[in-house]
Amino acid sequence: MIGETKLAQDFWELGRCPECPIYDMHGHMGVWHSIYFPRADTADMIRTMDECGVRVLLFSHHMALFAPDLGNTLAVEAVRRYPDRLRAYCAVNPNYPELLDADLAALDADPHHPLIPDVYLGLKFLADYHGIALSDERYRPAWQYADEHELLVLAHTWGGSPFDGPSVVRAMAEAYPRVKLLLGHSCHGEWDAAVQLARDFANIYLELTAVFDDRGVLEKLVREAGSDRLLFGTDLPWFDPHQAIGALLSAEISDEDRHNICHRNAERLLAPFLGMSGV
Amino acid sequence: MDETQLLLVEELPVRFFDCNVFWGLPIKRSLSTISTVDMLLGEMDRAGIQKALVWHIAQHDASPQMGNRLLAEGIQGHSRLVGCWTLLPNQGHEFPALPTFFADMKRARVGALRVFPNSHRFLANAVSMGDWFEQMVERRVPLFVSVRRGMEWRDVYALLAEFPDLVCVICDHGCWGMDRLFRPLLERYAHVYVDTSQYLLDGGLEALVADYGSARLLFGSGFPESYFGGMMLALRHARIPGEAKVAIAGGNLERILEEESL
Repeated sequence: MIGETKLAQDFWELGRCPECPIYDMHGHMGVWHSIYFPRADTADMIRTMDECGVRVLLFSHHMALFAPDLGNTLAVEAVRRYPDRLRAYCAVNPNYPELLDADLAALDADPHHPLIPDVYLGLKFLADYHGIALSDERYRPAWQYADEHELLVLAHTWGGSPFDGPSVVRAMAEAYPRVKLLLGHSCHGEWDAAVQLARDFANIYLELTAVFDDRGVLEKLVREAGSDRLLFGTDLPWFDPHQAIGALLSAEISDEDRHNICHRNAERLLAPFLGMSGV
Repeated sequence: MDETQLLLVEELPVRFFDCNVFWGLPIKRSLSTISTVDMLLGEMDRAGIQKALVWHIAQHDASPQMGNRLLAEGIQGHSRLVGCWTLLPNQGHEFPALPTFFADMKRARVGALRVFPNSHRFLANAVSMGDWFEQMVERRVPLFVSVRRGMEWRDVYALLAEFPDLVCVICDHGCWGMDRLFRPLLERYAHVYVDTSQYLLDGGLEALVADYGSARLLFGSGFPESYFGGMMLALRHARIPGEAKVAIAGGNLERILEEESL
């Protein structure tokens, strides 16, 4: 077994732990061109969440990120179908500023301004894939909107990237201090830089999708950035949450750290929205 | 599969025999280093891994000959560890002749071989290593090829086209969804296996078992670069019958090693 505590025993025996619900802060949904997904549809994802004890998934739909013709429509449909389990990030593709304008106008038009709390809890940036740096002028309206309304922004970040590497992230964190900036993949590979960003900016959180597979990194991030700055994520339907949980249980960190990562930090971040949306 | 079948897993003894583990100091310092066999065995105990097919990182980073020696010395006296040596083309007579090599393997309790063609600058094909691969087919000696470290997909395809009966384990195939690359090989070649390290795909284990049966998957962790527990927990809670979990966790690897004759 991969641990002796009750937390580990519960996950090992049951696959989930009632005292340690999981908030998966980085998911997707639907088919995508480069990967075969056996469980890409919404109902399958919900079943996986049930089996792994994932209470809520925040996601951006693959089509919202990769098919400008469809935009965020499929994400909205999915959240409406499972309002107690799903919330979306409004995906931003800066190659189409007119779509961003329309999305932001729709958000502003909603009576629950500054965001539609029963669908979106923030914005999603995927700069590496869209080929436009987070610091580019075309992202500015989205940054400004998120800053003005103190929204979550989940940004894909990757070590060495000229689009969303640590130096670009630093410039954006300095420019938009009221954004709650979640670094998707924690600037993967540039772990020291990720730690430094978390230390330098109180509004930065390190999100752990694809980090769980790199043994030793969890311990480093907990030790140097603090477990109160880390968030659970899986890219679901990409990665099996049980794999991530198994890694979390294997890491030489405390159960308090695991609680922080799985739910406490997310609960704190989402509190302003959870109260409004009834999740 | 109904819920009754799923419950069977609790009644079956799942013993983990990890097919993809190394130790030793890499040329570049890593956060995940396991420098000694004692450390490795300690980590296996902590995780609940009964046995492991292991190699030494020097086999890749420094020299197959020296790494193979370090491996043999390291596993000596440790029955939970079975060795996996590294092979090179032998035109330069860097290894003993074939019968001697296989006898050395047996004496050192080495049950499998690896090649790192990109890193070690050769092509793993009939021209370079035909005599070796023919013997491996005949003796059913498994060859491990790592996509992460040293062998590209096109070369794996080419190798298997030349040696369709080779017992070949494709490991470290990457977490970014490689089904479209390894599934054709599973369909075409009866002795191809994939390991689970980096197979993080949600529902991937279940889909593979449904399409190809449980005999084609080997539990591998990728330790020390990955945690033992990640794929252990994924396998434990996969929606597949208990017998399939037992097979994947270690039964398949035991069978493969039993079938070889050195």
